[in-house]
Amino acid sequence: MNVLSIVLAAEDPSQSHHWLFPEIGEIIYGSIASIVIFSALYKFGWPAAKKALETRTAKIQQEIDESAAARRNAESDAANIRKALGDIASERSRILADADAQAAAILSEGRTRIAAEVAEMETRATAEIAAARSRIGDELRAEIARLSAVATNDAVRAALDDRTQQELVDGFISKVGASR
Amino acid sequence: MSGQQITAYVNAMFDVASANDAVAVVEDEMFRLARAYETNEPLRSALSDSTVPVARRQGIVEQLLGGKAHNVTVQLASLLVGTGHVSLLPQVADALVKRASSEKQLEVAEIRSAVALNDAQKTRIAEALSKTTGKKLNLKVVVDPTVIGGIVATVGDEVIDDSVRTRLDQVKSRF
Repeated sequence: MNVLSIVLAAEDPSQSHHWLFPEIGEIIYGSIASIVIFSALYKFGWPAAKKALETRTAKIQQEIDESAAARRNAESDAANIRKALGDIASERSRILADADAQAAAILSEGRTRIAAEVAEMETRATAEIAAARSRIGDELRAEIARLSAVATNDAVRAALDDRTQQELVDGFISKVGASR
Repeated sequence: MSGQQITAYVNAMFDVASANDAVAVVEDEMFRLARAYETNEPLRSALSDSTVPVARRQGIVEQLLGGKAHNVTVQLASLLVGTGHVSLLPQVADALVKRASSEKQLEVAEIRSAVALNDAQKTRIAEALSKTTGKKLNLKVVVDPTVIGGIVATVGDEVIDDSVRTRLDQVKSRF
């Protein structure tokens, strides 16, 4: 005995219809109404729901695609950054190496130039010292000669008394008179 | 310009001196004043200083020569100072001496001596130089201590140098 038999067996004959099952007409009308409703829902509601679902799906898919694209871009950027970091480190090393080389070259050149300048200054200073020594010597000799001349003139002038002066004048007259 | 000025001054001075019959005296006094101007630095500064009023400088000339020199000499020297041409005094005086000498057919003989010469010595020197050069001379004696001793005589372009200074220079040049 199945459940339906039990249910049908429990039917009360005093009542016009089973307490559980509706009347046939009601079932028919209900079924028709249900069919109409479901048909209407299928015809008018389902496309809208389907479209909404499709739109939703497409939106989600688009967001997934965008996220994937963003991730790819981020990974690409990360790769570029890592590459750039590597390049920067390499460039830094190269620049430092160049700077070291240039510094060494400048230092070497500077030492060479300074050595040359020092040598030139020494040569020039030596020449100037020699010239100054010679000039001072010349000036000293000239000054000594001048002072000697002054001293000599003064000494001779002091030695020339009036009588000697007159003798010099007379000597001039005699010399000029005898020169013809 | 200064050559023309000198000539103009000399002509004017000669005419004034001639008019006063004092050419010989004036040219001799101008010559001596010129030599004093050349050798005396304070006198040269005093007469050339343009910051000193002209009247004051002319006063110096009159004070210096007044009573000792001919009035014409004083006036002519004062004229040079007054016109601001006192720096031309040596050239003017020399040119005046030359002009006065040439009027008498004399050649100027400048005698530089370390000591003053007496008249007898001047005469003997003039005779000796005349005999040597064959010219009549107008002797101008300048006492010049730088000569030291002896005499330097200049007649025209000819120089007879028998000075101790020159002898010393010759000795020095040998060293």
